[in-house]
Amino acid sequence: MMVPVRCFTCGNVVGEHWEEFDERANQGDEDPQKVLDELGVDRYCCRRMLVSHTDLVDVVSPYQ
Amino acid sequence: MELRVTESSENELSIEIAGEDHTFMNVLKGALLEHEDVSAATYDVNPEQSGGQTEPILTIKTEGDVDPLEALEEGAAGVRTKTTAFREAFEAAV
Amino acid sequence: MSEEYDVEFVERGDREARFLVRGITPGFANGIRRAMVADVPTMAIDTVRFIENSSVMFDEQLALRLGLVPLTTPPEGEFVEDDTVTLSIDVEGPATAYSGDLVSSDSLVEPADENVPIIELKDGQRLEAEADARLERGKDHAKHQGGVAVGYRHLQRVEVVDDLPEFQEPESQIVRGVVEENGELVPTSEFDHDLSTRHPGKEIRLEDVPNAFVFHVETDGSFSVEELVTRAVDSIEARATELEDAVQL
Repeated sequence: MMVPVRCFTCGNVVGEHWEEFDERANQGDEDPQKVLDELGVDRYCCRRMLVSHTDLVDVVSPYQ
Repeated sequence: MELRVTESSENELSIEIAGEDHTFMNVLKGALLEHEDVSAATYDVNPEQSGGQTEPILTIKTEGDVDPLEALEEGAAGVRTKTTAFREAFEAAV
Repeated sequence: MSEEYDVEFVERGDREARFLVRGITPGFANGIRRAMVADVPTMAIDTVRFIENSSVMFDEQLALRLGLVPLTTPPEGEFVEDDTVTLSIDVEGPATAYSGDLVSSDSLVEPADENVPIIELKDGQRLEAEADARLERGKDHAKHQGGVAVGYRHLQRVEVVDDLPEFQEPESQIVRGVVEENGELVPTSEFDHDLSTRHPGKEIRLEDVPNAFVFHVETDGSFSVEELVTRAVDSIEARATELEDAVQL
């Protein structure tokens, strides 16, 4: 639904980088690898948190 | 930190140190083994789910007429010298 | 017992650092590592009272998210374990509630990161809540872990022994961490962790330097790396002092 605040595996705060990542890699056409490197999300456990995330608030909000 | 002696003789002591885990016990054991008059030192912990004795039990064997409790006190002091030295070295590098 | 340690920083940042410690036993190194992960108390939200929550997420889910937001932890001695600080949040949609919207009653305890989205609020939705942050240890809950991905590796010494035989296939030699080469410390990321690119066509000997460990320490923003390390050492020392006093009685 919303981005996880922290990485499930290592506990690093990843929520902090979500909006920039979303804007640049998902909405924009930048290479996700490059964006993650620039954001300082180094470990693959943290990277998958952002890469594989989908915001679902818009999907569920009509049913509230 | 609750202490409870489980076994005690002239040269041997088993003591339960409640509330501690490997973090402190292993460092303490290491310091005890560096002690001159300690011939053996070890500790045993069981996992929380095991249901039995889950607090660590430290066992110390000493040589000659050294009281193991005294060795334990010196061992704890040994840990303190380590931490003080480490902090000094770390702060010097900062 | 006299102890001699030597600390040297390899990389240093606010939240991430690498430093070499010489003369440390593996047991003590591990004690410090464990203390950094589980024994250094940090502030985190523990109880949330919801005044209004008409968002798409349940109270419990939001409480968990609020709890995971790192908060700056006051200097040692300012607070004791179980002390609380109250933070409040009040956001009305359409807007996103961020961790930066948390208003603290104590300037020593503020959200360390301001851009963590808590919940996206649609038109007419509102989040109003009051939260109590407590000082606790990583042992109790992962949200109180100040150290993130804390670890250490042996320092490795690289020695160029000889040229490789002329017809030998070049093989990559992967090494991670920090290596010592002619007395110089080189992070392996400098040569893509592959010694064969650094010394092509050479035979290389790699050995662990006894009692020299390179720590890699990262914090969640609760405090600086230096603070985390000193507090971890302090926590071990406090226990040694406590034991000494208990035995003396």
